[in-house]
Amino acid sequence: MRTQRALRAATVLMFAGMAFGTSTVRKDLHFRVGKHPTVSINNPYGPITVRAGAPQQVVVVAMLHSDRVELDQSQSRNRINLVSHLLPGADSISGVVEYEVLVPPDADVTLHADTGTLHAEKLHGDLTMEGVNAAMEVVDCADGHVHLKTLNGNVNLTNVRNGHVEVVSMNGDVVMTGVSGPYVSVNSNSGRIQYDGDFGGEGEYNFISHTGNIEAMAPPYASIDVLARSNQGPVESDFSLEPKHAPFISRTGSAFTGTLGKAASSVRLFSFSGKIHLKKRQN
Amino acid sequence: MKCVEFERVLPEYLEGNYLPAQQAHLQTCAACSNLLADLKLISEQAKSLIASHEPSPALWNALEERLRREGLIRQAQPSGFRLRSFSSRWRLAWLVPVAAAIAIGTVVKLHYPMKAGDTQPVVRQESIPAPPAKPISSEDLQLLTTVAERPPAQRAKYRANLDDANSFIRDAEQSAKQDPSDIFMQQMLINAYEQKQMLYDLAVYRSEPGEQ
Repeated sequence: MRTQRALRAATVLMFAGMAFGTSTVRKDLHFRVGKHPTVSINNPYGPITVRAGAPQQVVVVAMLHSDRVELDQSQSRNRINLVSHLLPGADSISGVVEYEVLVPPDADVTLHADTGTLHAEKLHGDLTMEGVNAAMEVVDCADGHVHLKTLNGNVNLTNVRNGHVEVVSMNGDVVMTGVSGPYVSVNSNSGRIQYDGDFGGEGEYNFISHTGNIEAMAPPYASIDVLARSNQGPVESDFSLEPKHAPFISRTGSAFTGTLGKAASSVRLFSFSGKIHLKKRQN
Repeated sequence: MKCVEFERVLPEYLEGNYLPAQQAHLQTCAACSNLLADLKLISEQAKSLIASHEPSPALWNALEERLRREGLIRQAQPSGFRLRSFSSRWRLAWLVPVAAAIAIGTVVKLHYPMKAGDTQPVVRQESIPAPPAKPISSEDLQLLTTVAERPPAQRAKYRANLDDANSFIRDAEQSAKQDPSDIFMQQMLINAYEQKQMLYDLAVYRSEPGEQ
């Protein structure tokens, strides 16, 4: 049984390797940089993974899936610019380039892609991601500005601390786990907004949607001043909030407001027609 | 020399500082030579427009006054909830990408009629997308023109997203008109326009020559 499984796996790997190896070209790039470099990558088709590496160097491994795309690179002092240059006839398959990039932890990184996943990990500089359908993942980042714009890709932010986070999304879901900082803003159209964290950092948290549902989960010890309102959808809170005066609370739609603990952070949950639910974490 | 390298030195080239390698590239690359010719033409045309078409501060003031009269914007509220600090700047700021989209989209469309993902050749004077089901503004038409050369599925997504953003703007505007003192709806309106601005940003960004 075990032998059969191993044989099957080996066959799959062999065929995958053959298919992959026929037209894929690997490019290795290495740049020396100073402190706080800027790295910009524009890759219309394909994933980009950026991780924190050694200081003062940027290491790029790019896998070009055909000869209809080429890699343009430039370095101007501390600024590195990489562009996947689509040649005539390139499409979303032949134009794919996969990037694996190591940057100094303090690098400012800008990524742009139409498709593929944009992934950033363990960075402490500013991070900008823009994509049409690209999924976005930001993991274990801190201290920088995190600005994400997407039309249809899903956004996942995990363990992002002390950051100035701004997300604008049309239809992609935005899921935040362990995200905190002085400013966290999500602006969504129909995508769902989901937050699971402690609303720490004495910050300002603004989650706003047109039709998307908003679900925020906080621990019982959270210290927040919360205001939630949906013009046409229901609102619900698992917490018994301390009452607080709010001038517009009695207007159209459903709403609630109040404080929890010392109300250190401001939480605004607004939707036009989506459902809003402030959940209490059970642990 | 590659196209992207030539585009990087275009400003210097236009000022008359050029190298033999750039000249050689121009002789072999129709796209870059056409781009250069059109930029020269636009540059000449722009000189005659600068003086006469600069909007006066009075125009912006009148626009702001009108928006106030219609109740779409208000002075800062005494409430604890505060609009984001850029809200006042936003009113004019969102117009910038719209204008940029119109200008850049026109130039880019002339020079890069074929985009990745297209399987059919396209002519330079490409028509706008198929007749829309709903009426669209001239600005939206411009955005759709900017993305007209992209694969059909992507064009459809832009159109759907544009409809979503407009729907958000419509809802927020109607509610703001019903109750001009509702700062909640003012914030909604700001967010709706921010979404539309993002659509323009992404459409224009992808269309820049560097992405070809």
